[in-house]
Formats: sequence, structure tokens, C-alpha cells
Amino acid sequence: MKGNIIKYAQDNIDTDVIIPGQYLKVHDYAELATHAMEGLDPDFHSKVKEGDFILSGRNFGCGSSREHAPIALSHSGIKAVLALSFARIFYRNAVDGAFLLPIEIDKDAYDGISEGDEIDISLSTNEIKNITKHQTYKMKPFSEIIGKIIAAGGLFKYKPDQD
Amino acid sequence: MGKTLFEKIWESHIVVEKQNGPSLIYIDRHLVHEVTSPQAFDGLRMNKRKVRRPDLTIATMDHNVPTNDRSLPILDQTSAVQIQTLEKNCKDFGIKLFDINSPNQGIVHVIGPQLGITLPGTTIVCGDSHTSTHGAFGALALGIGTSEVEHVLTSQTLWLEKPKSFEIKVEGKRKNPHAVTAKDIVLSIIKNIGTGGGTGTVIEYRGQGITDLSMEQRMTICNMSVEAGSRAGLIEPDEKAFDYLRGRQYTPKNYESLVDNWKEHLKTDSDAKFEKQFTLNISDIAPQVSWGTNPGMTCDVTESIPSPDEFSKGDPNQKKSAEKALEYMDLEPGTPITDIKIDRVFIGSCTNARLEDLIEASKVIKKQKISTNVKAMVVPGSQMVKKEAEELGLDKIFINANFEWREAGCSMCLGMNPDILSPGERCASTSNRNFEGRQGTGGRTHLVSPVMAAAAAIKGHFVDVRELDLS
Repeated sequence: MKGNIIKYAQDNIDTDVIIPGQYLKVHDYAELATHAMEGLDPDFHSKVKEGDFILSGRNFGCGSSREHAPIALSHSGIKAVLALSFARIFYRNAVDGAFLLPIEIDKDAYDGISEGDEIDISLSTNEIKNITKHQTYKMKPFSEIIGKIIAAGGLFKYKPDQD
Repeated sequence: MGKTLFEKIWESHIVVEKQNGPSLIYIDRHLVHEVTSPQAFDGLRMNKRKVRRPDLTIATMDHNVPTNDRSLPILDQTSAVQIQTLEKNCKDFGIKLFDINSPNQGIVHVIGPQLGITLPGTTIVCGDSHTSTHGAFGALALGIGTSEVEHVLTSQTLWLEKPKSFEIKVEGKRKNPHAVTAKDIVLSIIKNIGTGGGTGTVIEYRGQGITDLSMEQRMTICNMSVEAGSRAGLIEPDEKAFDYLRGRQYTPKNYESLVDNWKEHLKTDSDAKFEKQFTLNISDIAPQVSWGTNPGMTCDVTESIPSPDEFSKGDPNQKKSAEKALEYMDLEPGTPITDIKIDRVFIGSCTNARLEDLIEASKVIKKQKISTNVKAMVVPGSQMVKKEAEELGLDKIFINANFEWREAGCSMCLGMNPDILSPGERCASTSNRNFEGRQGTGGRTHLVSPVMAAAAAIKGHFVDVRELDLS
């Protein structure tokens, strides 16, 4: 899975900046997407491209349980968020609805990858290749259940009895 | 080896357990509100599924309801649609709803315990991160997203990975419990362990500092567990918890036999081991005021705004966050907290809008008026809280001081209804989150206790409430 990085070099990006509360009444996902990251980066909507990845620090997606957060990012074109760590509800929301991949990275990847870098994520080898910089980093493998929900395409497509 | 209370509740709710994997956990109570449920009900319809246990599912409307006159129509059309959608969904799927005109309407985490729906030893979920509040009664209460709401609606279960257990011991006795409150305890905890300090854990709060607290104060503590990144927070239930729930509208008929069972089983064994521990001594803690844009950016009311270097202790991301926060908050390092002037005061939210919070805040007022530069409002956590407060005459105390006295809802905690800050306005708020834009675009939030908020309303700036007579 290849894409370019939009980097927010900070911790604690909360769901209120990912999608401010006033938009939680919006049910049109395309419209919701136009407000993604509005609380943090008003230019996000104009710069994001289909297939981009977000890179950020610790505790990404902290705060509210609003599933609108991964939905807004996903409908903006974001396919994965790479972060040093995630808040749990955001993490499960991203996976359960098959909106985007929440990928836990280490300090090497966080420091090594810059804004605009093209990277290639491999879920089979749990590696992240930085095509721009010719570097390779490890990603934390998904746990068994998360990997299965992702492979199935979301919580409601996961069939535990076939395990 | 013994087990923790969390482990006991977890194990008694396992439906399917996978080796080294997740468990399918049974959910005893599902609380539903208008914002995180519409897509879940759409999903049920699309797949021709029913609600498995409508009798264990309770709904109310709280996040975007207006808090002014309830006889007026809702002007915001999108809010009106979301509220009507919940009405229709509850009717179609046979779910009990406390609607905008119900005497039981209120913030979902305030009405659960008030109605006796929240019970010790149960698993409780809601599409809201502050579901952790119910842990004050020894319940395992988890905030979930909309896909999980749909999963619980249709199956009454959830696939969950077992969180780690985290003991937070609160030791010591506060010298002035009217001035140094549960809010100050939990803000002190988050200040110390950080907003990610509890990630992947369920906190059990223990120690004299916790057992001394009333149930409403314990709810304030558990409520903010999620601000430390935890999945949930809970407290071993005792007589105070059993008394609080006795005789409520939905308290089970066999309550006393349940209490006997809870007394025997809902305990952390003396030889149980926690995977993580933290101890806070509260004998000398001060009232807390947040200065930044996450709840960990908090200091004593007697302190000054820290510099980014002081705050970050060498962590470059923390330094950058602090710089950004100070710019957003328009604050200079070195400014004494008590020099910060405020424009607005919000006493409300699932953190601090219960009867006791309003009683304590009212004691600050003593026939004074709020500062002429301040606009202040009290939004009771539920219509029941509002009624009880009015029976005590609290509404008159607040109104005479020029506070607005509103109807129940989440209100200015999250800026979904018309109660929002204007850009640049600075608010002393009893809510739980000081994120950028949380209370309205460009709004600046300082998290404080109800007494600190009321005192700031009177003086027009923060004051150390330990210096006031709060009898």
C-alpha cells in the first residue's frame, strides 16, 4: 500500500480537532470530509490526496468516541494513520468500520519519515519502506483479532465461527 | 493468586474466550444517545437485524438538545433531525427513551445512576467516551464507537481485548474538602501520569482518599479516567454505593439479595496483583486549573503558567505542544494563574453537574453577584438534578447572582448546541476537555472544579477557593 505522508509532529491529536463537535450532526460523509482536521490544520482539505497517510506522535485520536473522526479522515482519502500510539476508541473505530488502518510505529519511523515522503506499507512483512529516503522501518504487527477484522473488511464481516 | 475487581467482572462476562486472543464479552446495560447511534440503527435496518435486548437498552437525548425553554421549537434543523431520528429509532426497535420532555431526561451518565440503571458488577457501554463515569459503582463501563454500538444492539456482546489493570492509590486526607474537590484529585492524577498514562488499562481507584468521597464525587473521578487514556476506571462498591442506588426508579426488586452478593464478590483480593501502579497523596494538594489544551496541562492555582521548557522536561513533542497551547490560549509563561481574567463560566457536564456540585458551587456565592465582565451559566446534569436543586432553592441563588439557570444537557462541554464560546473567549469550565475548539471555535477552556468556577465568576479571575469561607 503506497502513499504520501502528511506529518503532524505532535502528540495528543484529539478527535475534537479531527472533526469538531459542531459537525457531528452531519450525516453526509463527503461533507464531513471537508471539515476533517479543521480544528488543527485548516489547509488539510486542500492538500490531502486520495491514498495519503497521516503520521503523528503519541495518543493519536484521544478524546471523544465519535466514529465521525476516522470516517472524516477516510472520506478525505486517508488510508492509514501511522502514530507512536493510539487512543483505544479511535483505534477500534478505525478498524471496526474498515475506515483506515491505525499503524503503530516506533521512534525510528517517526523521526525518519518526513512530510511528503512516499512510503510503502506491507502488512505481510510488517514493514514500512520509505521510497523517498530508501529506508525501511518496522511497524507493530496487529493483534490477532484486529488483524482478522481488518482482513475481513470490518467488524460485521468478521465471522469468528470460521476461525 | 488473587484477582482484581476488574478481572472478576471481566471473567464473569466472558461468552467466548480465545486463547491469547480477544474475548466476546456480554454487555448488561447499553445506554444510547442521539449523536453516536443513527448510523448503528441504519446498519440494523440495512441488514434486517433486530435489537437483541431492548429491555437492557436505554436511550436519552443529551448532546445537542437546547438548554433554553423546552416549549420552544429546536431552531437548529440538523439537531432537530438527529433528535427526531432517535425518537423514530427507539419507537421502531422498542427501546425505552427519555425524550426532551421527560422528567428523566439528562446527560446519559448522570441519569444512569440516578435511575438505578447503573449497577455494581455489571458491564455497561455507551457510544460516549465518558461512560467510565459509571465505574464509580463498581461497574466495568466502557465508551465505544458507532460500529460497536451496532454490534451491541444486535448481539448484546462485544469483542474486546483484555485491558491491563492499573491501581491508582489515593492516600491522605484533604484539609479543606470543600475547596479541594474530587475534580482537583483527578486533575492532579492526570497532571502526574499524563494524558496517555492509562492507555490500554482499566484503573481501579483505591485508598482512603477515594473511600472518603461521596458517590457523586467518585463519579467525577471515574468520569475523567478516559482523559488519562484509560479504557475505564472503577471503584470497589461499598455501603455508600449500595445506598445511592437503593429505591431508585429502576432499581431491581431483588436489590437486597443483590447487595448481599455484591458485598461478598465485588472486591479486589488482598493478594491480587496490578500490572501498573501509581500513588498520589492528597493531604496537601491545591485546587487545580488547566492552562493548556489537554487535561494534563494543569497546575496548582497558586502557581504560574509554566514555560514550555519547564513543562516538557526535555521531550521535544511536549515542548512543541506546550508552545502551541500557550499560543492558542494566549497566555505568557510566568503569569500567575490568579491573574487570568475570564469571560465565561460554565458549570455543567457529566463531570460536574450533579446535585452536590451545584450545592458546593452555590456556597461560594453568598448573595454576591458575578463580575460585570462575566457571563455565567449553570446547566444541571439532568432534569432530576434540576428539580432537586430547585427544591433546595439553588436556582434562586444562582439567578440572583446573575447566572443563567438552564435545562439539562451536555451543553457547552462540547459545543454541539447553541451554548458555545465565541472565538477568543476564555471560560472557567467544570467540564472534562480543554481541547482546541472544544467549546466553540477559538474558545479557550480552563478546567476547574465547580467551586473554583463559581469563585471565578464572582471575581472575574481565578482565585484560590481555600481562602474563601465555604461553610
